Amino acid sequence: MGNPLLTFWARHGRREEEERRARRARLLAAAASANRASETIFLILRRMRAPLIVLVAIFSVSVLGLTLIPGQDDEGRPFDMGFFDAIYVMSYTATTIGFGEIPYPFTYNQRMWVTISIYLTVVGWAYAIGSLLGLLQDRAFRSALALQRFTRKVARLAEPFVLIAGYGRAGELLGHSMDALGRRVVVLDRNDERIDGLELESYRGDVAGLAADARDPGHLGVAGLDHPCCEAVVALTDDDEANLAVVMTTALLRPDIPVIARATTHVMAERMRVFGSPSVVNPFDLFGDHVQLALRAPASYQLLTWLESGPGAPLPPRASPPRSGRWVVCGYGRLGRELTADLRAEGIDVTVIDPSPHDDADDVVVAGGYESGVLAAVGLEEAVGFVAGTDNDITNLSLVETARRANPDLFLAARQNRPSSAPLFAAMELDALLVPTEEIAHEVYAQLSTPLLWRFLRAMPALGDDWAAALVDRLTALCGQHLQALWKVRLTEREAPALTPWLASGEARLGSLLRNPEDRDEPLHAVPLLLLRGDDATLAPGPDHVLAPGDELLLAGWPAARRALEIILLVDAAREYVVTGRRVPSGWLWRRVRGIPTVSEESEEAGPRPTAPTPS
Amino acid sequence: MNLEKVVFGFFVLLAATLNFGFFIGDIDRPELHNRYELFAAVIVNLIATVLKFGDRTQIGAVHLATSLVASLQLVAAALMYGYAEYVSTAGMTPGWTASVVSVAGGALLANLVSVVLLVIETVSFHRG
Repeated sequence: MGNPLLTFWARHGRREEEERRARRARLLAAAASANRASETIFLILRRMRAPLIVLVAIFSVSVLGLTLIPGQDDEGRPFDMGFFDAIYVMSYTATTIGFGEIPYPFTYNQRMWVTISIYLTVVGWAYAIGSLLGLLQDRAFRSALALQRFTRKVARLAEPFVLIAGYGRAGELLGHSMDALGRRVVVLDRNDERIDGLELESYRGDVAGLAADARDPGHLGVAGLDHPCCEAVVALTDDDEANLAVVMTTALLRPDIPVIARATTHVMAERMRVFGSPSVVNPFDLFGDHVQLALRAPASYQLLTWLESGPGAPLPPRASPPRSGRWVVCGYGRLGRELTADLRAEGIDVTVIDPSPHDDADDVVVAGGYESGVLAAVGLEEAVGFVAGTDNDITNLSLVETARRANPDLFLAARQNRPSSAPLFAAMELDALLVPTEEIAHEVYAQLSTPLLWRFLRAMPALGDDWAAALVDRLTALCGQHLQALWKVRLTEREAPALTPWLASGEARLGSLLRNPEDRDEPLHAVPLLLLRGDDATLAPGPDHVLAPGDELLLAGWPAARRALEIILLVDAAREYVVTGRRVPSGWLWRRVRGIPTVSEESEEAGPRPTAPTPS
Repeated sequence: MNLEKVVFGFFVLLAATLNFGFFIGDIDRPELHNRYELFAAVIVNLIATVLKFGDRTQIGAVHLATSLVASLQLVAAALMYGYAEYVSTAGMTPGWTASVVSVAGGALLANLVSVVLLVIETVSFHRG
C-alpha cells in the first residue's frame, strides 16, 4: 500500500463494487416480485388446460360423427355432410343458438347423434366458461393482476414521490398532507381494505397502492424503492419489526435516500439506527417532549403545532400547563414512562397510578384509577394536572370525567387511541390531547415537506417564548386563524433570474422585496420564517436583512402572495417597480425606445431561463 | 413413469404423424390427401397446444411456440380446403390441393421441431 495512487484506486474500486452490489440486489428484489405475478398467470393457464381439452375433444367427436352419418337431400338422394357444414351446425348448436337443420332436414339417424352432441357440447361449454369465470374471481389471480397494474403505475411515475409503507391512520394523514403540497405518494399496506379504501378518498394525484407485506423486499422493490424518482421512504406500520425491516431494506438497497420510521420503544429505535441514519419517530417520546416544551414555552409549542399541522390548519389554543404543583399520571405504559420522566426532569412532582406494580419508578400507586377512593387517596384535590394515558379509550374517558368531578380546576390531558373515539374526546373539552397517529403524521410531514421547515421547528424553541408569541401574532395578523401556504424560494440564477443584478449589488434588503407588485406601498402578505445561507440559518429575518445570491427563504402567507412573489422573481419590470418604485416598460419596443437593454439580451448572458421556479 | 409425460408425448407425436400422413403423396392429387386425416391433425394439434399451456421452462415456451405455429398452419390449410370445396365453383383443383398440402407441409415442419424438442428434453433428463 505504499503507492497512494494504488490506494486511491483500491478505494474507488471498492465503492464501485458496493454500488454494483446494491444495484444487483435491487434488481433481484424487484424481479422476484414480478416473477411471482407471472407465476400466477402461468398457474391460471395451466388450470385452463382440462376445460379446453374437454371442449376440443367433445367438439371434434360431434363434428366427426355428423360427417360420418349418412344423410339425405330434399329429394331423398344420399348426402354426406361435409366438415364445413358439420362445424357450422355444431358451433351454433353447442353455443345454444340453434339455427335449425342445415343444409337439408336431418334424417332420424342424424337427429339421434345431434341430440347426444347437444348434451355433450353444452356441458363442455358450460364447464369451460365456468372455469374461466371462476379463475377470474380467483383471489390469487386478482392479486397478481393488481400487482402488475401497480408495477406499471409505479414504473410510469416521472416525478418525485414518497413511498409510505403502512397506510394506517398516520399514513392516511401524511398522504393527504403530502398530496395537498402537490407531492406524489405510493402506498403499501398489508390490509386489503385500507388499499381498496384509497379509491374512495379524495386525492388530487393518482395514488398507487398495493396490498402487500412491507417486510418483503420484493414488494418494496415494485413499490418504487429502485425507482430513480423515489425521494424518501416512510415506515409507518403498527408493527415495529416491520418498520425495522423497511429501514433495513432501504439502507441496504438504496443507501442514498432518507428513511423515516415509527418506533414505539427505545430499543427498537436503537436497532433502527444501526442501519444508516434513519430518522426515528417515537410518538410517546414526542408527546413527552411537547409537554416539556408546553410547560416551558406555551407560545413556542403553539407555533410548533400550528406549523406542523400543514396548510389550512386552525390556530391551536395556547395551553399553559401548570408548573407549580403535583401531577397525577394514570397508566405507566410507553406513554406514561416518557411523560413521567419528562415531567420529573422539569422538577415537577408526579404520582403514577397503574394496575401493575413497577419497581423502576418512584411514587407508584397500584390501582386502575377508577376505583372509588383511589383518586381521593392520591390527593387529586391538591394536584394541578391529570393525565389519562392508558391504551383504552373508554378507560381514559371515564378517568378524565372522574378526575374532573373530583377537582374541576385540574389541567386535563388524555390519550386517544382509536380515531372513532375522536368526537367523544372533542366533547370532553380537554386541555391537551395526545393522538399518537396524528403526532407521527405531523412530525413526518414537518420532516418531508421542506427541509427548511424542519430546520425552523428545531431551532425555534431556543429563541424563547416571547419571540414565538410575537411571531404567532404576526402570522395571525396576516393570515387569520387558519394557516395559509408555506413555501420555499431559492434566490438562485435559475429560480430568481430577475433578482440577479440586484442581489449582486449588496444592497438587497428583504423588506424592499416583500412588497405588492401592484402597489409597492402595500406589503406582501407573507412572513419570512427562515433564511438559509449555506449552513447558517436566520430565523424570522427582519426587513433590513441583506440578501445574497443563493439564499433560500421559507415563507408563510397567502397563496396570492406566493404568486406575486414568483412574478417579482421572474419579471424584471416587477422587480424594478417593487425595489425602486420606477415603472419600467416590459415590452420589447418600449425598452428599445427608452434605451433599456431588452430581456433577451440580458438573458443571453444568464443562460437559459426556466419558465417557473421548480417546486420545492 | 409419469402419466402426464405419457399423455404429452402421445399427443405431440400423434400430431406429427397425422400431419405427415396427410402431407405425404403427390402434392396436386386430391384423392391422395384424406380430409378426415386433416381434421384429426387439426384436433390433435389443438389438444397438444393446450397441453403446453402454463409451462414456465424455456423449453416449454419453445414447445408452445412450435405448437401454435403448427395449429395456425393447419387451421389455415383447413380453411383453404373448405373454401375450395364449398365456395369456389371449380372445387378441389390440382392448384388448390397443392396449396392446402404445402401449408400443411409447413405445419409438419413445426411439428417435427416439436418432436425434436421432446427428444432433447427426454435425453437431457437425468435421473437422480
